[in-house]
Amino acid sequence: MSASAAVVAHQFDDAAQQRDAADTGMWVFIASEILFFGVLFFGYMMTRIHFPDAFAAASRHTDVVLGSINTAVLLTSSFTMALAVRAAELGRGKNIALFLGLTILLGALFLGIKVTEYFEDYQQHLVPAVNFSFATAHRDGAELFFYLYFVMTGFHALHLTIGMCIVAVIAVKAWKLSFTRQYFTPVALVAFYWHLVDIVWIFLYPLLYLVART
Amino acid sequence: MSDTPTSAKPLALTWLALLLLLALTLGSAYIPLSGFNAAVNLAIAVAKALLVLFVFMHLRHASSAIKLIAPAGFFWLALLIGLALADFTTR
Repeated sequence: MSASAAVVAHQFDDAAQQRDAADTGMWVFIASEILFFGVLFFGYMMTRIHFPDAFAAASRHTDVVLGSINTAVLLTSSFTMALAVRAAELGRGKNIALFLGLTILLGALFLGIKVTEYFEDYQQHLVPAVNFSFATAHRDGAELFFYLYFVMTGFHALHLTIGMCIVAVIAVKAWKLSFTRQYFTPVALVAFYWHLVDIVWIFLYPLLYLVART
Repeated sequence: MSDTPTSAKPLALTWLALLLLLALTLGSAYIPLSGFNAAVNLAIAVAKALLVLFVFMHLRHASSAIKLIAPAGFFWLALLIGLALADFTTR
């Protein structure tokens, strides 16, 4: 029995069909994640329609410098993740682990910057239900903006944290050369998840940081 | 999923394009476009998402089933947002 045949479960004809099934299942999960975050984006849209001026005022209180740096960090982590998948396609086990390690580091940098922002928000009294105060006529709408800001970035950070844990487990397996050119499904699937989390942030960034900068 | 390994060049070009689009969206946010700032920002976000989906997530070379499933989540989200907007904007 060859190495690639050894990992084909008996319900599949061959490794390619097994891989197709795994990819398809992951995309179904991703579609459900799009709807999970989609509801939050929907709530954001409805609230912004009702409080356009308050959202503009509140958005100016986010840290656009740190937010933009974080966007670049996350986009770069998607690039290193794509390079990890390429290393897997080429059968370079140690390189997979290195690129996955780099991806985790960039994810940690993102979370570190995000926590710094949260601390700034706390100091500026922008945390709803904890210490929110907003000195203008837009107080109610601004509080809803920051409520959505914390829920959306919070769920995003949670997804990123879960992603980093899974990537770490797979990086250790890759370092131990558990993957071959024929079988590297876990690397490919966690990459889908990581890119999805990146896409969520791609939409969060302009909606939270760039509402009214003119 | 294709059997041929992805070459590094399109990945690097996509990464550069993503950073360029980030600079573009940040820059455009500071230029008054008489109400079109939000539309420009969203259009750039969609472009970035498509780059990630088609290059990084290999949607170009995905199976037919995946090419149907991948847009399904976005499709239902578009229904939710589209129908709600039709209500709120015509009251």
